[in-house]
Amino acid sequence: MTPLNFPLPNVVPLIPEMFVAVMGMGVLMLDLFLPKERKVIGGYLAILTCIIAGLLTVQIGMAETVSAFYGFFVQDPFSSYAKLLIYAGTALAVILSLDYIKNEFGVGEYYSLMLFAMLGMMIMASAPNFVTLYLGLELMALCTYVLVGFQRDVLRSSEAALKYFILGSLASGILLYGISFLYGVSGSFDFATIGAAIEHSGSGAHFALLLGLVFVLAGLAFKISLAPFHMWTPDAYEGAPTPITAFMSVAPKVAGLVILIRVLADALPALNVEYVTIFSWLAVISMAVGNLAAIAQRNIKRMLAYSTIGHIGFIMLGVIAGTADGYAGVLVYMTIYLFMSMGAFAVIVLMNREGIQGELLDDFAGLSKVRPGYALAMGLYLFSLAGIPFLGGFWAKYVVFMAAIEAGHLYLAIIALLFSVVGAFYYIRVVKYIYFDETRVAFEFVENRLMQATVAVTAVAVVAIGLYPQPVINICKAALGGII
Amino acid sequence: MDLNNVLGFPILTWSIFLPTLGAILIWLFLKNDTAVRWASLAVSVATFFLTLPLWLSFDNSTAHMQFEEFHPWIEAFHVNYRLGVDGISMPFILLTSMLTIICIVSAWDCIKTRVKEYMLAFLILETTLIGVFASLDAILFYFFWEAMLIPMYLIIGIWGGKDRVYATIKFFLYTLGGSVLMLVALLAMYFKAGQTFDIQALMAYPFDFDWQFWVWIGFFVAFAVKVPMWPVHTWLPDAHTEAPTAGSVILAGILLKMGAYGFLRFSLPICPDASQYFVPFIVVLSLIAVVYISLVAMMQTDMKRLIAYSSIAHMGFVTLGTFMFTQQALEGAIFGMISHGFVAAALFLCVGVLYDRMHTREIGAYGGVVGVMPVFAAVMMLFCMANVALPGASAFVSEVMVLAGTFSADQLYEMVISSKWVAVAAAISVVLSACYTLWMYKRVIFGDLVKAEVKAMPDMNMREFAFFVPLIVLVIWLGIYPLPVLDVMHASVANLIEQATSSKLPAANALAAAEMLQHAVAH
Repeated sequence: MTPLNFPLPNVVPLIPEMFVAVMGMGVLMLDLFLPKERKVIGGYLAILTCIIAGLLTVQIGMAETVSAFYGFFVQDPFSSYAKLLIYAGTALAVILSLDYIKNEFGVGEYYSLMLFAMLGMMIMASAPNFVTLYLGLELMALCTYVLVGFQRDVLRSSEAALKYFILGSLASGILLYGISFLYGVSGSFDFATIGAAIEHSGSGAHFALLLGLVFVLAGLAFKISLAPFHMWTPDAYEGAPTPITAFMSVAPKVAGLVILIRVLADALPALNVEYVTIFSWLAVISMAVGNLAAIAQRNIKRMLAYSTIGHIGFIMLGVIAGTADGYAGVLVYMTIYLFMSMGAFAVIVLMNREGIQGELLDDFAGLSKVRPGYALAMGLYLFSLAGIPFLGGFWAKYVVFMAAIEAGHLYLAIIALLFSVVGAFYYIRVVKYIYFDETRVAFEFVENRLMQATVAVTAVAVVAIGLYPQPVINICKAALGGII
Repeated sequence: MDLNNVLGFPILTWSIFLPTLGAILIWLFLKNDTAVRWASLAVSVATFFLTLPLWLSFDNSTAHMQFEEFHPWIEAFHVNYRLGVDGISMPFILLTSMLTIICIVSAWDCIKTRVKEYMLAFLILETTLIGVFASLDAILFYFFWEAMLIPMYLIIGIWGGKDRVYATIKFFLYTLGGSVLMLVALLAMYFKAGQTFDIQALMAYPFDFDWQFWVWIGFFVAFAVKVPMWPVHTWLPDAHTEAPTAGSVILAGILLKMGAYGFLRFSLPICPDASQYFVPFIVVLSLIAVVYISLVAMMQTDMKRLIAYSSIAHMGFVTLGTFMFTQQALEGAIFGMISHGFVAAALFLCVGVLYDRMHTREIGAYGGVVGVMPVFAAVMMLFCMANVALPGASAFVSEVMVLAGTFSADQLYEMVISSKWVAVAAAISVVLSACYTLWMYKRVIFGDLVKAEVKAMPDMNMREFAFFVPLIVLVIWLGIYPLPVLDVMHASVANLIEQATSSKLPAANALAAAEMLQHAVAH
């Protein structure tokens, strides 16, 4: 009998993932030993985990591309940068949770679930392969379903979780179905191998490929809430605990966009014409649905849900462009969106007591007279989301529109810009409540230093990037060095 | 790179950012309303004196950009921080820094709530306005152009009148909607012209006609909304009416000029052939603005609305003169913008003075004001006469120049309709403007003093009189002796005419090249 040849795989690129997994379990177990009033320690540990994971990711190298586990895992600048965004998004969401979630049942599991969701996203970001992708995606999704329904005594939270779960499972099924077609044509799960196989496949396989493409894209579009696969988003956003809404608005979107770019650029470049057509329509529908439906909302969480749908529509311009500049634009957009969205949710959470106040637009009336600092920060986020310069949001739109125009999608850019004007309306309407209206209800605020610091930092970041976007753009461009 | 800056000092950067710097310091360190008022006044006066050297050290003899500055900003997109002024943009910077002082003084007593925010908004607004006029990079220009929306939105929305929310959202969306198409045009040009946003490089780049056509439309939408031209003017009466007095002053004085300035800086030199092509279109819209809007103005019962419509009509004169491609008409148009900046600002201030006393802008609520406010009546008469373009007032100079320049444009260009008739039609508005202005004046100032509230009105105090003095001096001085301002713009306007009348099309270029070759051979 010959001895099994079993070389130890290169685990170095996975160190951050392993660390996060260990910490996730650690937080879960620690929870058993913590008295109720000190459960919040789990939250601080989760923040610490994000920070250390960030340091590890930077430490093991942002620059080079390393493949591990026989091509089932890849670490490259693209994934590393995406992971940094995911850590930041998660850490900020944990900060927002510290005060919000402390009276809930099962606080320890909460932070542990966030860490595992983050782990799922990290795996997604590093997936060069449909199997890895699916593993990461499901890990993330299962954790998020639970987190959305975490306030199990609140009817709308449970309802949201159930809706999200059912639709999410359906989307996963659709994704798997699509993957099976691609596997059938190419005989592989590996993106690069699929890409090469499609290149050499005859026209007979075209229909199967098209089916595979459509189903895979539908599954992924669901995850990034691209219309018309957005139906779950408003309900899930509204029903979820606000910090989880903040969490869902950024980190999973980053992971979803990264994986989408990888699939398109590595596995399906031969179907460029087809997917550009599909995405052009989806982007336009997304902008229309997001920006128009947001106008009708009275609940700010729902409004921001539609706003996310609209922003994903804009971001798709970078994906549609299909150039390094376009993909870099996606990263730039998500980086800036991270600050705007997290900041806006931080203000909402700060105004939130007993889980009700601060969610309706009316509740913002007269905020500027009571808390000028929060009002100013919120105003900056809103103008930034609307894409008005000297704020970061302007450059976010600028980079993707520029990439789209460079790639020849002028009409798409014009449509997107017109929808951004529509979008401006509902953002500046919130500014109207904050600055122009008189106070209607007495305000209550959560006093939490860490959250206030979050507001300050994100507001400063939005202004700083708005005035000097060069560093962010350069980093994102460098991150794209390996992918194309 | 060789920068033409005689002062050897980044004067434009300081002029742009001094107000913001002051605003930040005021925001951080001052709490007391009175201190905030004085500090804001100090900052705006300092900015005005800082911009004075632009005028004093300006070289009238050249059309080149002056006081240039250059720093790379976003290298990934070749977006640079490039500043400079010529004879067209420089007067507007001084106009801005001067009107900002007047805005701050005029708000001294009548703004009682959130004084600090008000002053900060005006100082930041000043930064963006000067930035627009000083930018030589298209994206930098757009950056300031759009950033202006934020303070203006807040000024109208927080301190405005009854329907302020409707007015300010309308203003914001109209302007934003117009400008995004300009952004598309700029981005499209960037790739066409070899990845540059340098306005001067874009002026020199030979775009073909189709390209010019679409880019021109993109620009037109943005600038026409801002000017505003009929039929996209409807935001202006609302915004003017609801804005606080100083907001109306800055709107009429500067913001409207940004649109016309855009035509001069972008449309004419970058798309000369398209500009020629669209002359009849612009002429028709301008004449509608001049004649139809004047008639609309006559029917207004609200003083601010009346002056707002009068502004649209006067800006119609400006757009008309802009697209006549004669030195006289173009200079008249630019001079008209400056003059209108003073006159419209002063008229809004007059309404503000009345409003502070009666809290109504209805013409019918007044009558016989001359009996209780003789000084005010005299001041307002002067500006009404200026609005009518009576000889001796600055507006007279501009209207005569535009009309004369339009009249003579035929000799230079073939047009669908004779420009003589255009001039005649435009001249009708001079009569109409007399009708609505003087009729308003008559109803407000003269008549019987019957209303008890009017009887109780005190005349202007020293502070109110103080901010009229510079305006009175300037309107009369420029009306009698306009040469200093005209001298500044001669060279730049001549250069602009040269750019706007030399075709960028290959056929014309080939022809010109062939002629040059023949010359060379002949010698």
